[in-house]
Amino acid sequence: MDKMNIPIGPQHPLLKEPLRLNIEISGERVLGGILRLGYVHRGIEKLAQTRNYNQNVSLTERVCGICSHVHTTTFCRAVEALLGLELPERVHYIRALMCEMERIHSHLLWLGILAKHIGLEMVFMHTWHDRESILDVMEEMSGGRVAHAVNQIGGVRFDLDEDHGPMVDSTVKKLKVDYEELLDVIEHDTTLKARTQGVAPLSTDDMKRYCVVGPVARASGVDVDMRRDDPMPPYDKLDFQVITHPDGDAWSRTYVRLQEIRQSLHLCKQIIDDIPEGPISVRAPRKVPAGEVVMRSEAPRGELFYYLRSDGSDYPARLKIRTPTLPALGILPEQLSEIHIADIPVVLAGIDLCIACADR
Amino acid sequence: MQWLKKRMRLLLALVEALTGEAETVSYPKTELELPKGYRGAIQLDEEKCIGCGLCVMDCPAHGLELEKESKSVYKLTYYPARCAYCGQCERACHRQAITHTNQLPGSTTDPESIIVILKDQKEQEDSDE
Ligand code: SF4
Ligand code: SF4
Repeated sequence: MDKMNIPIGPQHPLLKEPLRLNIEISGERVLGGILRLGYVHRGIEKLAQTRNYNQNVSLTERVCGICSHVHTTTFCRAVEALLGLELPERVHYIRALMCEMERIHSHLLWLGILAKHIGLEMVFMHTWHDRESILDVMEEMSGGRVAHAVNQIGGVRFDLDEDHGPMVDSTVKKLKVDYEELLDVIEHDTTLKARTQGVAPLSTDDMKRYCVVGPVARASGVDVDMRRDDPMPPYDKLDFQVITHPDGDAWSRTYVRLQEIRQSLHLCKQIIDDIPEGPISVRAPRKVPAGEVVMRSEAPRGELFYYLRSDGSDYPARLKIRTPTLPALGILPEQLSEIHIADIPVVLAGIDLCIACADR
Repeated sequence: MQWLKKRMRLLLALVEALTGEAETVSYPKTELELPKGYRGAIQLDEEKCIGCGLCVMDCPAHGLELEKESKSVYKLTYYPARCAYCGQCERACHRQAITHTNQLPGSTTDPESIIVILKDQKEQEDSDE
């Protein structure tokens, strides 16, 4: 049969962010895809070299609109490591609480998008409704719905007051109930299973070859999670499981993310119960000594990597950000072969691409 | 049995949707409830400000400008159209002169018209600092 090329994007109803795919098809079969990136490149790494460290906290927050908090956390931790600051325990707990809530809302957002792509509007509405309740708590605590502005070098900007604990508690309780319903749908709904099971599976070796991280890798059986492998405090004191699944198809990615929501809910509860009293920041000197540091955190989509080099001046000499979406994009051409055209949305959604992160 | 359970759940969800509170607010008819730490436009306590310029230094969006002639003659200007409402200036000020209000400047096609002169310190005979 004749081959044909279909361009998808950069503006396309299927995509939430600009990305260009040139897909080669033959009849209903997809033969391959070529990827083009860079539509939302903002030059953030270069821009960071022209701002001082405090300004860069706000800048790194704007790398991504979904996992904004983990970006500032990683950046602040990198600067604090250069400064040799010892932070109060309470700071770590507040940062981790926001990280976990961010993971929950990011996974719920993703699940909603996947459900919408395969025609399960009801699941989409329910997940986004649940996501809204988490966002409400985050907004109430930090003052911002997307840009939370929680971190500063040397600590956090807000403290939990007596209302926040019960608020997190009741939201976690409510989401746990909704979670069971969602799990029931994921595990038993025939439509969802028919559309996702066995779609473009990738093996553990493939994932390792492409250096993929996060839930996508874990859904192919790669046991990697920065919260356990290179824990920032207080994760070393908290109890949680790293979820993996051997199949590597779109369904197992759904399953892994859903189980991670449960782990994050569990973590939120622990953090709220165990959070120690104390100050929420220490005074950080403005002058950052010369040196270089690598800081890694577990963002909702996987390992987030920051490399920071200081030459002792007011501005960073180099800031390198590697986001988890970048390696995940590498598997896309491989995934987009030997599938049906109707599976393209599932494959694209399954990876949970964040193009703004990847392009920076 | 499973069939009945599913239908019951649907029915319950329907009742909840019909009787429960709406998730949305009909803004602007209903007042929006803003969170405690909401970061709107900034305001300045002129008494506290000494014109040190720390806030200007840390603002990532060039939202603040300081024209300084001497220690006691300076002008601090706020450009809401450039402001990212990030809270950096509030934190940078060691004298707690800057705070966020819960107001946002209305939308406009003329950004110049919403510029606020936060403080215009002229020469004083008995300078307090
Ligand atoms: S507002 Fe605060 S930081 Fe800004 S010039 Fe005045 S005293 Fe300095
Ligand atoms: S809130 Fe942020 S962007 Fe706005 S003036 Fe203050 S520092 Fe600048």
